Amino acid sequence: MQKLIKDGAIVDNQYVLAQNDDTVPDKNTIVAVDKWLENPSAVAGIWLNSDQNPSLLKDVDLDQFDVIGINFPAFVDGRGFTYARLLRERFNFKGELRALGHFIPDQLGYLLRVGFNSFDFAEDVNLESALKLHKPFNVKYQGDANDPRPIFLRR
Amino acid sequence: MYQYDAIDHQLVAERVAQFRDQTERFLNKELSEQEFLPLRLQNGLYVQRYAPMLRVAIPYGMLSSNQLRTLADISRRYDRGYGHFSTRQNLQFNWPKLEDVPDILAELAEVEMHAIQTSGNCIRNTTTDQYSGVIADEIVDPRPYCELIRQWSTFHPEYAFLPRKFKIAVNANENADRAATQVHDIGLHIKKNAAGEIGFKVIVGGGLGRTPMVGVTISDFIPRADLLTYLEAIVRVYNQHGRRDNKYKARIKILVKALGIDEFRLRVEEEWKHIKNNESTVPAAEFDRLQSFFTEPEYQTLTDNPSNLTEKLADSTGFSRWFERNTFPHKKAGYRIVTLTLKKAGQAPGDATAEQMEKAADLADKYSFNELRVSHEQNLVLADVQQDQLVDLWNDCKEAGFATPTLGLLTDMICCPGGDFCALANAKSIPIAEQIQAEFDNLDYLYDIGELDLNISGCMNACGHHHVGNIGILGVDKKGEEFYQVSIGGASGHDASIGKILGPSFAQEEISRVIRKLVDVYVSQRTAEEHFIDTYRRIGITQFKEAVYAKAN
Repeated sequence: MQKLIKDGAIVDNQYVLAQNDDTVPDKNTIVAVDKWLENPSAVAGIWLNSDQNPSLLKDVDLDQFDVIGINFPAFVDGRGFTYARLLRERFNFKGELRALGHFIPDQLGYLLRVGFNSFDFAEDVNLESALKLHKPFNVKYQGDANDPRPIFLRR
Repeated sequence: MYQYDAIDHQLVAERVAQFRDQTERFLNKELSEQEFLPLRLQNGLYVQRYAPMLRVAIPYGMLSSNQLRTLADISRRYDRGYGHFSTRQNLQFNWPKLEDVPDILAELAEVEMHAIQTSGNCIRNTTTDQYSGVIADEIVDPRPYCELIRQWSTFHPEYAFLPRKFKIAVNANENADRAATQVHDIGLHIKKNAAGEIGFKVIVGGGLGRTPMVGVTISDFIPRADLLTYLEAIVRVYNQHGRRDNKYKARIKILVKALGIDEFRLRVEEEWKHIKNNESTVPAAEFDRLQSFFTEPEYQTLTDNPSNLTEKLADSTGFSRWFERNTFPHKKAGYRIVTLTLKKAGQAPGDATAEQMEKAADLADKYSFNELRVSHEQNLVLADVQQDQLVDLWNDCKEAGFATPTLGLLTDMICCPGGDFCALANAKSIPIAEQIQAEFDNLDYLYDIGELDLNISGCMNACGHHHVGNIGILGVDKKGEEFYQVSIGGASGHDASIGKILGPSFAQEEISRVIRKLVDVYVSQRTAEEHFIDTYRRIGITQFKEAVYAKAN
């Protein structure tokens, strides 16, 4: 079974990512958001591509999902950083927020701060090495998904 | 100036450690070239034509003499004994070794300096007026606001991978805009409303590069408490909707243009609605805290025009020229602002040797409370000089090569490093600057021509701001040969405008002749009050064009 990093540990990936039309979604599947919106069913969760804004989900009860994935088609495509914050801060999603696709271990500090807590890296990434980078700086100026207070409320 | 506390120190130290680790992993081939690229760019490190280039931030242009000595020392030990001051209040080292960069950053951190976000598709160094805090006509000192923005933008977790680079500049003066704010992604104009409250007029979507544009006003007044949430709203809209398919269409200016300012404003306001008044709303106490770093030095009670100054002005043409051009009125009686020009003939514009940096640091200690500023025009500034010491300072400046009395004149050119150093450049820019300096070496003539901004960029990236030069020169590649396109009519102040291209480009050796022709048209057509830009705006481009392209017969 493919491994991933979740909450700071290397664990088995318990879900199946549905990337094409053939997968019949079930309670273990993370299904593409547009497929799910066409045919809402009981699934583990949904995933957004980088051109799919979370506002697509504004009328959906997010508590029904254990996991929401955000895909990074390329690691320099930073839209997912905003989407994560919106899901956490505006849509109050409390479940697992999973980064998918071509993000890189050196982005972990920022990804953690915008609200991701699980990381399904590309296959060639060494998870043991990645885990060493699983830590933002100990100090930060801005508020973020984990603590909304900017530095001037914490100095 | 701003002093780091334990938090600022720790953050920069952690950054140095992080970059050391990234560099080691890159050198060990654990990190690919493609992955290392944006990581090193976010730390100001380019790989250039002959060597890496490291861009060090000088936040809003403030520099202590101690910091400048460190820069000099670094340039001597890790580089070739000089640095290049850029148009956005940064200093560039052109010859560091990649493996030395972590050590350089560690040494910079000791004097509260860094290279964080000086490049890459993120929010860059915030810039402002080099005369902040010492001129009479500013609304308030913009530096506390710049520091607020510096902290907000530094390692902002959401905006490290924007569609493209993002530059913010701040102005606090209705009479002059010395930070080219209207050609920034966001330009902020500090103002007071009718109730006397401080806020910002916000201009968005300006920029140079391939598609130069003057920014447009998105809001006439954002109260200062709301500044960060409003900036957040703009950048968030841009991060989601800016184009990522074509790097030449990825700046915010393209998005603003494509949507139209009204639609763009609606989207920003829709976003702002959700975050306005959240924790990022800045309390008055924080403004007070930031302002406390920018208090006045211990000025003496003095009067204007001491006798040793007025006597020298009467006696010495050289001194009075320098006084007229290179010094500027100070808000305090008996003081003057002095620019140390880095535009000596034979020296690349903006370049300073280690010896010059040390000399400038010594002058700051001797004459100006141990501080300097770096200007958009690539010069150094001593902000607080006693008028009765100007004669001594002038003598010291002459000796150090800082006294070229041409500030604001044609030979006070803005110029990028160009093809001599930069891998992106199509053409060299420094030899063009030298050619123009040689052509216009007569000071009387230069004074007669008067104020004229001449800007040179080696390629479309426009680091030399050629679009907003009254005369702009752009290096272009024509079948492998270096040519130069000339435009006129650009301006970067409150009257910002983009220059118009004259016509077909010129070979390198033609440039000084072309500039002379343009100046001749101006001199023959001007009225008594007109600067070059005014004459151009009155008579248009035609006569300039005809003079330059007229066939010799």
